[in-house]
Amino acid sequence: MKIGFIGLGDMGQSMARHLIGAGHELAVWARREASASALLAEGAAWCASPAELAARSELVITMVGGSADVDDLVLRSDGLLAGFAAGAAHVDMSTIAPATARQLAARYAERGIDWLDAPVSGGPKGALEATLAIMVGGDAATLARLQPVLAVLGSRIVHIGEAGAGQVAKACNQMIMVAAIEASAEALHLAAANGVDVAKVRTALMGGSAGSRVLEVMGERMVTGDFDKGVDARLHHKDFGLIMADAHALGAPLPIAAAVGQQLNALMARGGARQDTAALITVLDAMAPQDRRTTE
Amino acid sequence: MNIGFIGLGLMGRPMVLNLRKAGFPVSVWARREASLAAVTAAGAVARASIAEVAAASDVVFSCVPDAPQVAEVAQAVADGAHDGLVFADMSTIAPAAARDIAAQLKSRGVSMLDAPVSGGETGAIAGTLTIMVGGEQAAFDTALPAFQAMGKSVTRVGESGAGQVTKACNQIVTGVGVAAVAEAFNFAQMSGVDPARVREALLGGFANSRILDNHGQRMIDRKFTPGFKAWMHQKDLRIVMEEAHAHGLALPAAAATAQLFNALVGRGMGEDDSVAMLKLFEAMSGGAA
Repeated sequence: MKIGFIGLGDMGQSMARHLIGAGHELAVWARREASASALLAEGAAWCASPAELAARSELVITMVGGSADVDDLVLRSDGLLAGFAAGAAHVDMSTIAPATARQLAARYAERGIDWLDAPVSGGPKGALEATLAIMVGGDAATLARLQPVLAVLGSRIVHIGEAGAGQVAKACNQMIMVAAIEASAEALHLAAANGVDVAKVRTALMGGSAGSRVLEVMGERMVTGDFDKGVDARLHHKDFGLIMADAHALGAPLPIAAAVGQQLNALMARGGARQDTAALITVLDAMAPQDRRTTE
Repeated sequence: MNIGFIGLGLMGRPMVLNLRKAGFPVSVWARREASLAAVTAAGAVARASIAEVAAASDVVFSCVPDAPQVAEVAQAVADGAHDGLVFADMSTIAPAAARDIAAQLKSRGVSMLDAPVSGGETGAIAGTLTIMVGGEQAAFDTALPAFQAMGKSVTRVGESGAGQVTKACNQIVTGVGVAAVAEAFNFAQMSGVDPARVREALLGGFANSRILDNHGQRMIDRKFTPGFKAWMHQKDLRIVMEEAHAHGLALPAAAATAQLFNALVGRGMGEDDSVAMLKLFEAMSGGAA
């Protein structure tokens, strides 16, 4: 299939590479052409604008920053909407607001262009190993048609519902995951306050009902105090901004997510934007006396 | 001094009447004829546009729902700008929005004050509002006599945006305060103790506050009519939480309280006064809301 790809960050590079590997004719566009150089060397074609990319593609996949970025890529004068022929499709795999996804789907529908919101979970590692969890919102027939392409990128693809539903599922994913990170941090913090070895507590818990992927991966980072690897906390902070705005608009109470969001705010204030979210434990440390800290 | 006033709602109408009572000539404009009647009967002069109101005034006040409406009014005021014109916005909006609008107006020769109020409809009618002002000192001095006709406590807190920051602080304290009083009363009730007696006892100690006194009494009387509508408090806390998010600043207590307001609105109690928080806690404790 002729596929266009925009968003050659950490995850996007791996995803684009898998598509080339699966035999698709890949073209790319990026703000800075330099960010595409590795993929161009591997056979991807270059397009001068999103519109040009859309015009040559049956499917364009985007994996970019947030709602405003996707909105701009679609609606700018040389954007995707201006280039797509009827019958083409845009699959956005970024994490954006459900409302933005719904609006873009409606704009495309007027022109006979298909849309899926297909945000992912699994991080750079999942992208590299093609084991992403993909949560899809949009028309079931569109997903059926594009399923083979998504299967190149992820191992679990679930159709959640109409346009925007994929983003709702992603928001749920983020709420549960970051709350679990905070819960892990608080548990280890309590252990440290008691003067108990936090590494041993984590090892013991991994075998029981509190064991989880978060406690395994993020818990390890909390124990070692190494927050350089992983996912930038600023991205979770951005997600929580969207989630809390949605809760406000719907009049839905999310007491724990709200509290977790404040810990993320504190992490930003402490300069932890580019640390892994496991650094939430340093916010608790900052609230505690020296001898009760797990880090520093 | 000639006054202009835009926004003749629940708050704006009594504010205009107080300006008239103090003897100020007041020009007004409103989209709907019906909004004008009450104030023109008191001697306010209806103009054909906001620009005409601005042209006839030394200070133009506005009191509208949110930032987009303030921006719209500011644009129209600038169209009627003249030397020395002051625009004083008394709505509650985000500090960043207030600063943006002030900067745009400055380039068109208008000095803007952000001057949100506390005290509700009761305070607006009695002319006892608390007014928190951000902006240039000279503009504040110009508008002060008019502010004094509408409010009892008028404070210039700092430069542009400082009034809205102060209002945000006010909403944190009152929002968390209402939740705290409702929580305490529900706790007393569930423990088999009369909240009215608890209130009376607490008024003598460190828990004494205007919220405990005023809102507490209304909870005991189960008087849930506004006052200050829960959805408006929810909106104000959204402004606070978005500002905190933008700065990366933790406001844990306000965040928890904002969720309670979400629940109030979600349960269909948005048009009730904020003291309906008590009903929410009762529902969470097994009662009926």
